[in-house]
Amino acid sequence: MTTATLKSEAGTRRLTTAKAISEAIAQEMRANQDVFVMGEDVGAYGGIFGSTGGLFDEFGASRIIDTPISETGFIGAGIGAAVEGMRPIVELMFVDFFGVCMDQIYNHMAKIHYESGGNVKVPMVLMMAAGGGYSDGAQHSQCLWATFAHMPGMKIVAPSNPYDAKGLMISAIRDDNPVLFMFHKGVMGLPWMAKNPRSIGPVPEDPYVVPIGKAAIAHEGSDVTVVSISLSVQHCLDVAEGLEGKISVEVIDLRTIAPLDRDAILASVSKTGRLVIVDEDYKSFGLSGEIVATITDKDPKLLKAPVQRVCHPDVPIPYSRVLEYEALPTREKIQAAIHTVMKA
Amino acid sequence: MSQTIEFPHLSKDESAEGILATWFVKSGEQVKAKQVIAEVMVDKVSLDVEAPIDGTITLLVQEEASVRQGTPIARID
Repeated sequence: MTTATLKSEAGTRRLTTAKAISEAIAQEMRANQDVFVMGEDVGAYGGIFGSTGGLFDEFGASRIIDTPISETGFIGAGIGAAVEGMRPIVELMFVDFFGVCMDQIYNHMAKIHYESGGNVKVPMVLMMAAGGGYSDGAQHSQCLWATFAHMPGMKIVAPSNPYDAKGLMISAIRDDNPVLFMFHKGVMGLPWMAKNPRSIGPVPEDPYVVPIGKAAIAHEGSDVTVVSISLSVQHCLDVAEGLEGKISVEVIDLRTIAPLDRDAILASVSKTGRLVIVDEDYKSFGLSGEIVATITDKDPKLLKAPVQRVCHPDVPIPYSRVLEYEALPTREKIQAAIHTVMKA
Repeated sequence: MSQTIEFPHLSKDESAEGILATWFVKSGEQVKAKQVIAEVMVDKVSLDVEAPIDGTITLLVQEEASVRQGTPIARID
């Protein structure tokens, strides 16, 4: 993160996360004829959240393929192409739509490698939009990463900024395993959505990778560890910077959910002894509980205070803007949680 | 050589106001011709604005500002 800021001052070009993702795809497509994109409105429209913007103009309809509204059909076709040696990037649009195609995702995409005794690989990227905050209702606002992380066989990444988005997309395309690339709509830097300046940032022009399974220390600190992922990381960084000089907050950006970088979590909590988890996904049976178990499986005595979890409560995401922000993680809730663990 | 960049005409309604959604460059930065310097929006239609020539850019409008189409938004010297 520090390095990225320095590069910006030296004049590195800035991009939104949406443009960083489409640039990553374009560069891999230029380098490898096996890479192609398939999904609803990925062509001329450029993806409803801009993740495939400009690709259709450069690569045309044979490599940027608009599909009918049949998620089972086109995800199955993507799996078939991957099994035959192509490297498809398939867009599900909203993660909330997984219900109609879960058999393809979980019983086929995630299991073929295992069931073939390792003989058949599925080098596929399944890309999708996640997250709320813009009144899109209970069926278009979920994160759901823990739903997929619960099931073995898939890697899952969720970037919080343009630099990581480009590097993680390139890693995902080059990975021989199925990778879910989950982008929060709020990190895309879209002109029509409220945006944090952190959604626009320096992105090197040449291709590079951000390793899957490796968390980043997004803000160094020594009093309390705040572990988060995706858009919530931006809120955590705002809070950590606001508390500078009062409380020294270490923000860990997981970047990958599966495989979880448990070493990074343990190293930070060993230093601070205090933990806040910020996760926009549902609270129960999910990522936040898994992070707590990561600590207690190792040594509960690492903790000087009970853990605070700032997560979406176990209710459907409200449509009403006021109620939605009652449910979502906010800067105010994160700051309150940090004060609670510091007082305990 | 110096050139002014205007907010593009995206709507037939000439009185329509647009939003300068994102600046990708800062004042004083060196830009190259065809480099994307901004993303602008009118009535939920968004467009990338490219630098017409090489040079040093000066921004004339704040990010998130509402402006009429055709308003000068930057100058390149």
